Amino acid sequence: MSIEKDKDLDDLFRKKLEDPVDPVGYNEADWDALEEMLGKRSKRGIVYWLPVLGSVAALLLLFFGYLVLRHPASVVKPGNGQQAVIPSKSDTITKNSATNQQAIVKPKTDTILPPASVNKPAGQGAKPLILAGSVAVIPKNSKSGGNYVPGATPNAGNRTSVATAAQAPVVKDGVSSRSDEVLVAYSPVSSLQEQLIFNAQVKAANRQGLIAAVHGANPANTSGSNKVKIKAKTGFQPRYAISILAAPDINGVGSFQQSKVGTNEGLLFSVGVSKKLTFSTGAIYSVKPYITPFEDYHTPYHFPVSPINVTADCRMLDIPLNVGYQVYSKHQNTLSLGTGLSSYIMLHESYKFNYAGGSIYATGPTSYTVPNSNKYFFGVLNLNATFQHQVNSKVGFSVQPYMKLPLTNIGYSQVRLQTTGVAIGINWNLNSSSKP
Amino acid sequence: MGEEELHQLIRGCIKQDRKCQKMLYKAFYGFSMGICLRYAGNRDEAAEVMNQGFFKVFTHIEKFDQSRPFKAWLGKIMMNASIDFYRANLKMAYTEDLDNAEHVTDGELVDKNLNYEDLIKMVQQLPQAYRTVFNLFAIEGYSHEEIGEMLNINPGTSKSNLHKARHKLKQMILNADAGRKGGNYNSGANYNTSIVAIRTIDMNGVFLNKGIRE
Repeated sequence: MSIEKDKDLDDLFRKKLEDPVDPVGYNEADWDALEEMLGKRSKRGIVYWLPVLGSVAALLLLFFGYLVLRHPASVVKPGNGQQAVIPSKSDTITKNSATNQQAIVKPKTDTILPPASVNKPAGQGAKPLILAGSVAVIPKNSKSGGNYVPGATPNAGNRTSVATAAQAPVVKDGVSSRSDEVLVAYSPVSSLQEQLIFNAQVKAANRQGLIAAVHGANPANTSGSNKVKIKAKTGFQPRYAISILAAPDINGVGSFQQSKVGTNEGLLFSVGVSKKLTFSTGAIYSVKPYITPFEDYHTPYHFPVSPINVTADCRMLDIPLNVGYQVYSKHQNTLSLGTGLSSYIMLHESYKFNYAGGSIYATGPTSYTVPNSNKYFFGVLNLNATFQHQVNSKVGFSVQPYMKLPLTNIGYSQVRLQTTGVAIGINWNLNSSSKP
Repeated sequence: MGEEELHQLIRGCIKQDRKCQKMLYKAFYGFSMGICLRYAGNRDEAAEVMNQGFFKVFTHIEKFDQSRPFKAWLGKIMMNASIDFYRANLKMAYTEDLDNAEHVTDGELVDKNLNYEDLIKMVQQLPQAYRTVFNLFAIEGYSHEEIGEMLNINPGTSKSNLHKARHKLKQMILNADAGRKGGNYNSGANYNTSIVAIRTIDMNGVFLNKGIRE
């Protein structure tokens, strides 16, 4: 065929098809179909915020969990006797001492400053603000708790000097010339309510780190210890754990009569919010092949000849949000029952149509790959039982029979896809101090 | 529809106003179907693709630059929806080998009596792969390189498919013309190769029976 003839042919079709003179008549049924599509989307829009809310809740959980975890670590452990840490409220230190009353704080370096070296410049008075009394050195930036080394034995009759915070009796330590040290003098009496009184003796032993041995605890000190004890009893540390799991499972539509085996691999993050209650979430890559009778396959496409059944290959990301309750715990073994909801994010979705008498191409399509796969938020109910064996404080193994039941129709074909399987996992406790 | 009225409808659609959406849908139904019918195999398929296109329109209408012509934007979306559909059904799109095809003589192709209905049916008779390339090249005016990128095929494949599409269309036109001359072709719209084939088989059967009897 010559080029000119080709052009004529193209022109013929272009002129008549480009802009139809008699456009196709409007069909109300087409609008109804579109309206249904639009309606579906707005319905999805309502639940769209749910995963966002879930993420926010998980972040809040993490944040508060972190706070709870962090708090006990900053409190003096009774019985340890080697570290004295000021509770967070106290920004200053008071001290009674008989002779060379001093409190030395070293903010950054972890060595102990000899008492004299501080006393001298203070006594020589670099500044008169420091009266002949107690001297404390605190770090400029110290907020809560630097490490303090109080002076010697108490003496009730000792004179003390007073300096309020507003007066800011801050003097640089001229001798040590360390810019990060300041001297503060004040009275323990005036700020008794806000400050803890330490009576301690410096153990000038060769300790590294800022260490003070607490001797002869006074009432204030004792009460502080009690407080810690109470906290240790009542405070609960959330347990964080990460699990890697793999699971073979079987998938079926409506029932498991015609089921196919799928695979799952994923990562789960769990938070134990109480001794028995655990929340978990994560991402699991699932390959879910299944076969369904054509009656259960819903499509707007009109098949010239109905296939007998449809084989589907779906790959998706399963994002569960589960809660587990521990029902049994002995030695290193625990058993929990769990439930929750899963969201499916389809990654690949293709269908193969099987016709009677083998594949007869001319009678209809043989396969279909969904171009824009969808997301199904909280469309699946999870039910599971988890048996966990803790090998040590860090590592454990788990076996989890589970079942996933559809709450909504899943996939392009809108099938009720259900799944059951057994997941096998390895768990790592992220906070090792906590007991499994 | 006036420009102002159209922009008012578009503003309504941005607010996801269902009435405005329907009015816009009705106003551009014929235009959109005209495009989708060219790419689709039949009316139902065209309606499905068109709805996919309108779905994209309504969900992304805020991205439409109102200083530009709406019809061109809509047409492009319909074309893309058709291409998406083609890609999704790629495995269904079979190709035919023309080696065994009968030789088509160069006759007078431009039959002035062929109307829109005749021609759209001919295009719809084409295998999807040929139809899509023919539409993009002959009607939309894209080059083979552009078509190759759009359909994720080689420009060579695009050329080959265009050649085969033209060949088949030419055959159809000639057959339609012959049918009309022979009185079997009513409106030019009922061109159907399968019917011809069935008749041929029937004839053979008759001939064989006669042979046995004799």
